[in-house]
Amino acid sequence: MAVIRTEKICKVYNPDTIPVHALKDVSIQVEKGEFTSLVGPSGSGKTTLLNMLGALDMPSSGKSFIGDVEVTRLSDRERIRFRLHNIGFVFQHYNLIPVFTARENVSFIMMLQGVGQRELLERADELLESVGLGDRKDARPHELSGGQQQRVAVARALASKPRFILADEPTANLDTKAAMNLLDIMEKMNEEQEVTFIFSTHDQRVIKRARRVVTLVDGAVHSDETTAVDSAVKDNQ
Amino acid sequence: MKTLFKLAWRSLWRNKRRTLITISALIFAVVASVFMQSINRGSHEMIVDNMTRFQTGYLQIQDYRFENEPSLDNSFYFDPELEEKLIQQDDRITFVLPRIETFMLAADEQTTRGGVVFGVELEREHQFNGLKDRLVDGRFFDDSERGVVLSQGFSDRLGLNVSDTIALIGQGRFGMSASGLFEVVGIMEHPLPDMNSRTIYMPLETARELLSADGKVTSLLIGMDSDRHTDAVAANIGDFLEGSELRVLTWTELIPELLELLEFDLVGAYLMSYILYIVIAFGFFGTILTMTLERIKEFGILISVGMARLKLAFTLFLEVFIIGLLGVIAGVGFAWLLLYYFYLNPIELTGELAETVIEMGWAPVLPMSFAPDQFYSQAIIVFLIAIFIAIYPMYRVIRLDVISASRT
Ligand SMILES: Nc1ncnc2c1ncn2[C@@H]1O[C@H](COP(=O)(O)OP(=O)(O)OP(=O)(O)O)[C@@H](O)[C@H]1O
Ligand SMILES: [Mg+2]
Repeated sequence: MAVIRTEKICKVYNPDTIPVHALKDVSIQVEKGEFTSLVGPSGSGKTTLLNMLGALDMPSSGKSFIGDVEVTRLSDRERIRFRLHNIGFVFQHYNLIPVFTARENVSFIMMLQGVGQRELLERADELLESVGLGDRKDARPHELSGGQQQRVAVARALASKPRFILADEPTANLDTKAAMNLLDIMEKMNEEQEVTFIFSTHDQRVIKRARRVVTLVDGAVHSDETTAVDSAVKDNQ
Repeated sequence: MKTLFKLAWRSLWRNKRRTLITISALIFAVVASVFMQSINRGSHEMIVDNMTRFQTGYLQIQDYRFENEPSLDNSFYFDPELEEKLIQQDDRITFVLPRIETFMLAADEQTTRGGVVFGVELEREHQFNGLKDRLVDGRFFDDSERGVVLSQGFSDRLGLNVSDTIALIGQGRFGMSASGLFEVVGIMEHPLPDMNSRTIYMPLETARELLSADGKVTSLLIGMDSDRHTDAVAANIGDFLEGSELRVLTWTELIPELLELLEFDLVGAYLMSYILYIVIAFGFFGTILTMTLERIKEFGILISVGMARLKLAFTLFLEVFIIGLLGVIAGVGFAWLLLYYFYLNPIELTGELAETVIEMGWAPVLPMSFAPDQFYSQAIIVFLIAIFIAIYPMYRVIRLDVISASRT
């Protein structure tokens, strides 16, 4: 079964004044373990679509399913709870709680989920180590570089053991080295733990590394290509 | 819960200066309000204290007709048996103080003036209100001699001095005429200015004889271990007196006009503290407003990743609550220290003010109240303000649109 499936999602902003048709009949499906990037020109609807996939916003029409749950039927409160247990988020910037350390940021999600204190600390440490921040666990966000902050955000997104992780331009504020490093980590998790990633990006270097590239133009799916090439290249190396 | 508290606490101290300024403002408001009230209520306590000690007592037993018709016809029989029974009603009762109180005309060679005669048992009276210490000239009478002690204002008005003679004319029980000559054995200063101009003290027995009121009293004052027990003791005595012609009155029932007047006098002080609190509340709100607005994005993220709105709202409530709590605790602490300082080092009064206070039977220092309810009433006000202010950030996160929050 697909992890996410949308059926003819439309999103109209300002329907009463100057309507903006941000999404037009978008139907896509993402399977477990995919490493999908969402690309398209600015204003094409990437963020809007990610908000729908993440049950952060409701479409004007159409349905969206996560697993067998029709999230477009859930109330605000139910969606919040659903997100907590099913979806990981990495935002472009300002991801972390500024007054919490890296470890606290990661464990906070698990605390909200009701995970026990011991398990939660162990897992937070493990995750931070897996994103290469084992030595910066007690640093606050402002003491970390942009790349390090994004890695904490990935660790946090993973902490809740979600069905998939959504990332809206996670590398946009990073230099090449940090961006590639973040991609390495995401890829590793995808390969080793079959974590499903869906991320939007403008960055050609990032696009290249995706297995599947969904291109949006003017709110509609323009193309949807799965490339085995990159992984084949990688395997040969 | 621990994590939420940690989140609230750290967020609070992210902008140390702003939080400290807000807390200081709260402290200032609490201290200033407590201080203002303490001074106001101090003088009121002084008035009430004198009023109850020299006139009404905290509890008083009267014939039920006496209040409307304060005549000797409405006096009642008092003997050790009644005293015994009364004391048995409640173990918080410490003594019973009999008095005869009646209006009489007093005359010297030229003038006639109206005065209030108090027939008292000197020793008991002294124990209750330190009457003997009020003497300014001469001496106090023996238990049954025909001597009187005049209040200073009264003796001045009549031009009488110690060892002069005063004629008293009035009416005893059942219309019997009551008149007699008495020696002025002493002059005392009555702490209540109003009473100082018209009081005549004489022994209870002498008054009874003069007024044909053998064995009678017009009022019994009930002494207690603490005036806090007034209502409880009144209830017990009330039960005991049920069915008789006697009734018990508390001091608040005895001097309602005075209390109203004092309450009215407090309005100014209350108003001042309310204005102060409103100003402080606006400052407090300003802090919370900026604190909320600059964190909208953070709130958006928290709700996006799955934090329940109510949980977040609770955290923000905690923040406001903590500021309020710190302000209140520190404010009450400082206010207490300040009052304690003035308790140890009272503000000396000078000039006319000092004389007035001395006249009222108090030391010439600024009277201040140390009543504990002043502290907690301020604390409650600050809490109400805090809770009221907390509504704003809570409302914001309950209504927050995560999409627009992330776009700010
Ligand atoms: N809250 C909103 N109100 C009105 N219009 C909106 C709103 N959010 C997005 N839009 C419009 O919807 C369209 C899609 O916006 P969206 O942010 O999804 O594009 P995007 O592909 O993420 O662009 P970018 O690459 O610049 O991030 C745009 O035309 C945008 O102006
Ligand atoms: Mg976007």
